[in-house]
Amino acid sequence: MAKILLVEDDDLVRDMLTQVLQRASHQVTCAANGEEATQCLRNEEPDIMVTDIIMPKKSGITLISEVKNQHPNLEIIAISGGGRLDPTGYLDLSETLGAAVSFEKPIDNTALLMAIDLLLHGKKEKIKG
Amino acid sequence: MILSNNGFVILIAIILLIMGALVAALIHVAQLAHRHAHSLKQTKENLQNEINDRIHAEETKQKLEVALLQGQKLQAMGTLAGGIAHDFNNILYAIIGYAEMAREDVEQDSLVHKNLGKVIDAGHRGQDLVSRILAFSRRQHHQFDPIDLKNTTEAALALLRPTIPAGVIIQFKPVEITILGNQTQIHQVFVNLINNAVDAMDGEGAIDIVMNHVAPKDPLLEQIPDILPQNYCKIEVKDTGHGMDQPTIDRIFEPFFTTKEVGKGTGLGLSIVHTIIKEHQGEITVKSQLGHGTTFMILLPEYSV
Repeated sequence: MAKILLVEDDDLVRDMLTQVLQRASHQVTCAANGEEATQCLRNEEPDIMVTDIIMPKKSGITLISEVKNQHPNLEIIAISGGGRLDPTGYLDLSETLGAAVSFEKPIDNTALLMAIDLLLHGKKEKIKG
Repeated sequence: MILSNNGFVILIAIILLIMGALVAALIHVAQLAHRHAHSLKQTKENLQNEINDRIHAEETKQKLEVALLQGQKLQAMGTLAGGIAHDFNNILYAIIGYAEMAREDVEQDSLVHKNLGKVIDAGHRGQDLVSRILAFSRRQHHQFDPIDLKNTTEAALALLRPTIPAGVIIQFKPVEITILGNQTQIHQVFVNLINNAVDAMDGEGAIDIVMNHVAPKDPLLEQIPDILPQNYCKIEVKDTGHGMDQPTIDRIFEPFFTTKEVGKGTGLGLSIVHTIIKEHQGEITVKSQLGHGTTFMILLPEYSV
């Protein structure tokens, strides 16, 4: 079981992902954008943060770069459906900034849950292998 | 009155002089008339030339306006496609995610389980479509290398051959031509064009792929607005399929425009071809007539070291 901070601005995706993570016995806290996520991180210490990239108020890219400075041990998973750029463009950037792994939406939820398990058990290198 | 011999001679001389003067005058008048006629002819020719020049200029202007409008339209649609892709991916993700969870909660052999599987499949089809839309709107910088067009075309033909109906004969007349381009993209151009030709023929007919060199002063280049005078490679893909009417020809390179049945074509194949050719500083034109087949002509700048 992991404590997960889920940052996603799309209500439907946030609700769906919350259920998917809870069904896999994870404890989920939600934030609707980067600003809310920063607030949450003042009070909580999650094991993993799953964050969208394109969001209002504070984007996932800004959030990741801030979090990596303030919470260096927090594992990050970036997710994106793309937009002005090819989604892989944002996701490559998120990994450069410190995300352990990234997924392009629509995501294979089984792969996402597997990545969470591997990160939780400190086997980050296995995700990309 | 009887004239003396001298008087008679003088009279004859005067008559001759008058006649001479008359002849000279007549010759002058004839010369003037000839010059006038020549000048009229010249003026008429000049006018005709001027009219032709103006018609040509007007036609070129119209072609340029149409080409510009088409380019702007394609660009705008690309931007729009990129814009909706993000939201669409979120929607698809929610559909697939909820359907997967709901499927976990029902009996494996139930109709609900099966139907939810269909929802998930449809979601994945939507996902595939979005990734193709993104491929269209992306302006990523592909790496350009010298590529052998003959080999690239043969590779595309080898890939497609197993899927081409036996009744469709393909004739390929290659020449040795090198262009500077992206191998994958040019490969995709041939795959899309050949697939399109096959689809236009309902299982029977012929596809001719003809390559030629085009010199900088070739009259063909004069018909194409804004093209640079340089060596080009001309590739024609001709089919004997059902052809197209003018309204279809006018929209053939627009994204999402398709004449194929629902589910058979995304309407992106030819717009991707158009985008790729433009990225390679090339041109693509189409000629078609209902019942008489279609010819796509591509011009790509030839590469020389």
